[in-house]
Amino acid sequence: MPTLAHYLLVSGLLFSLGLAGVLLRRNILIIFMGLELMLNAANLSLVAFSRFNLLPNGLPNYNAQVLVFFIITVAAAEVAVGLAIIVALFRAKQTTHVEDLNTLKF
Amino acid sequence: MIDPVFLEVSVVVLGIFLLMAEAFGLAKEKSTLAWWAIGGLAAVFIGTFFIGPNSNSFEVSGFYVVDGLSLFFKRFVLISTILVLVMSVDYLPIVQRLVPAERPGAGSGEFFILPVFTCAGLMWMVSATDFIMIFCALELVTISFYIQVAYLRRSMSSLEAGTKYLILGALSTGFLVYGITWFFGATGQTNLVAIREVLPLIPVANHPAILFGLALVLVALGFKIAAVPFQFWVPDVYQGAPTPVTAYLAVASKAAGFLVLIRVLEPFFTVPSFQNKLFLALVLLALLTLVFGNLAAIPQTNFKRLLGYSSIAHAGYLLMGLAAIGDAFAGGAVVFYLSGYLLMTFLAFLILVPVTKASGGDDIAHFNGLARRSPGLALAMLIAAASLAGVPFTVGFFGKFFIFEAAMNQGLYLLVLAGIVTVASGFYYYFKVIRAMYWQPAPEDAGPVAITKTSSVAIFILAMLILILGVYPQLLIGMLP
Amino acid sequence: MLQDYTPVLLHVIIAVGFATVAMIANIVLGRTGKRNPTKDSVYECGMVPEMAGQPRFSVKFYLVAMLFILFDIEIVFMYPWAVVYQDFIAESGTIILWSMLSFVLILLFGYVYAIKKGALDWSR
Repeated sequence: MPTLAHYLLVSGLLFSLGLAGVLLRRNILIIFMGLELMLNAANLSLVAFSRFNLLPNGLPNYNAQVLVFFIITVAAAEVAVGLAIIVALFRAKQTTHVEDLNTLKF
Repeated sequence: MIDPVFLEVSVVVLGIFLLMAEAFGLAKEKSTLAWWAIGGLAAVFIGTFFIGPNSNSFEVSGFYVVDGLSLFFKRFVLISTILVLVMSVDYLPIVQRLVPAERPGAGSGEFFILPVFTCAGLMWMVSATDFIMIFCALELVTISFYIQVAYLRRSMSSLEAGTKYLILGALSTGFLVYGITWFFGATGQTNLVAIREVLPLIPVANHPAILFGLALVLVALGFKIAAVPFQFWVPDVYQGAPTPVTAYLAVASKAAGFLVLIRVLEPFFTVPSFQNKLFLALVLLALLTLVFGNLAAIPQTNFKRLLGYSSIAHAGYLLMGLAAIGDAFAGGAVVFYLSGYLLMTFLAFLILVPVTKASGGDDIAHFNGLARRSPGLALAMLIAAASLAGVPFTVGFFGKFFIFEAAMNQGLYLLVLAGIVTVASGFYYYFKVIRAMYWQPAPEDAGPVAITKTSSVAIFILAMLILILGVYPQLLIGMLP
Repeated sequence: MLQDYTPVLLHVIIAVGFATVAMIANIVLGRTGKRNPTKDSVYECGMVPEMAGQPRFSVKFYLVAMLFILFDIEIVFMYPWAVVYQDFIAESGTIILWSMLSFVLILLFGYVYAIKKGALDWSR
């Protein structure tokens, strides 16, 4: 039977993998996937906290689960806008590598 | 009497109306959309003076609070949005040149509509007292900013700035939600009022979880307010974004970020075991931000980039005010500083737009000889730069003065020392602009800078306000919540 | 005092460790066997491949897919709404219906905007 700690561990792993992807990868699309992974890590632990820490009346605290819905929809909107920007960048520069973003330097 | 929640609802309805007007081609000239938006927002601004007590069920559920502070900042946000729209009308030719369009003018209407939605998000943000609400409002603001920053699709720097803002903004969102997760896990609450109540009862064993969450949320909000070491997006994004969007980011987004920071940190200042750690973190952040922002600004040659670094420096003074929050007037000092910051930053950007249009760039060198080309604009820029630096008889001086006073009362002598030293370096880099305007010769063929009537009226009002409040700060202090 | 932080420290160590191991494994396992051009080429029943393996999709697919996801995901709010609908309507009246209708109305405006801007116009 998995306990709260298991879920938190998995969520921590997801978060760190996402963060590592953001910091180490050089392709903007992969970086973006890492960012989405971080959001999903938060979703997982929110649901786990909500299911395991029951309220005095025996029900889970649904606030967290509603927050998860909001995070999912916001992530979808973020992906839509983000991909649009990345596509526009690709059309202008024919690249999606962060090293090629060098117009703005002083 | 108006129910407070109608303020945001009417801003959203205004935004949807403008969107439909744009889609169905109701406005022949795109700038008409801007005038409608300005009119609508001005009506909402007047509406803020007639709101009744918060009678709706939002108050009961604890999602939404209407107090003096949130009302003050709702007006603050509305004024900023109106000024941004005024600036955008002036900026429209540049937008139309740099946005690919099938027909002339297509694709530039949304440039006036997105700020309206951003405004609604900011207004919700300053009223939010629940993490769910904070998250949603913050994301409405951030996502519409992604589009606005990357709006000029033929300008490589705008696209790059948009990509950088997208990645770092999404990163801070990730930190924010993960931090909220740990708050929820340790306290079982998402509501700040409820968290404040249960916080003293939390067993010590759960304190690390809360501190972990607090650190993550602090990082996320540090991105929004541009505190060092989370500032690295600021110079690039400020330089690359369209100028009105830069001004919007610099003022409204930062102010709302600070208000959320105050609301989130408030419960933790009441519990002694958190208070010390939080205090230490804020002092460190303030110190780093002050030193880095001011020193890195010195070698800049691009005016927007310079203002980016200066906005980091201003975040440092504001964080200093937050660190001194124990003092009775510290909160008021922070709000005063933000209001002064609105006036002087918008003044600088309002002058930058016509200068960019006339001289083809936004480097400090493009200001050369402005005093001979347009003495009025140069004088207004002189006032803005003096106020940003904190010269006496401007509102910027009193902003810094009140914050230093609050910090002195709290015994933060090191911070005050750093503040005074960095103010001196501030004098140097703002003076570069003044030197360019008054001592450098203008290019041969340069005539007076063309400027629209509305912009010049706005510039005049802002410059007068900076001077008046620099002599009688009591006028503004009386209005503080 | 410091012991309180051990779980957090463990959390960090395990998380960073896992990420490092996963990436090292990726490097080690990903390079089994030597590569050569023939091996890397697409297997086409002995025929020499004529173009790159992954043709580019039209950007219109992406536009339609994005719009689909955006409108599709909003359904998620209707599940909890439908669950509490009956209890709520008995308790506090029809405001729950109107709030969902206004939400759908906002989505509808978005849809109208997408159509008017030609985002769903395939032939363009």
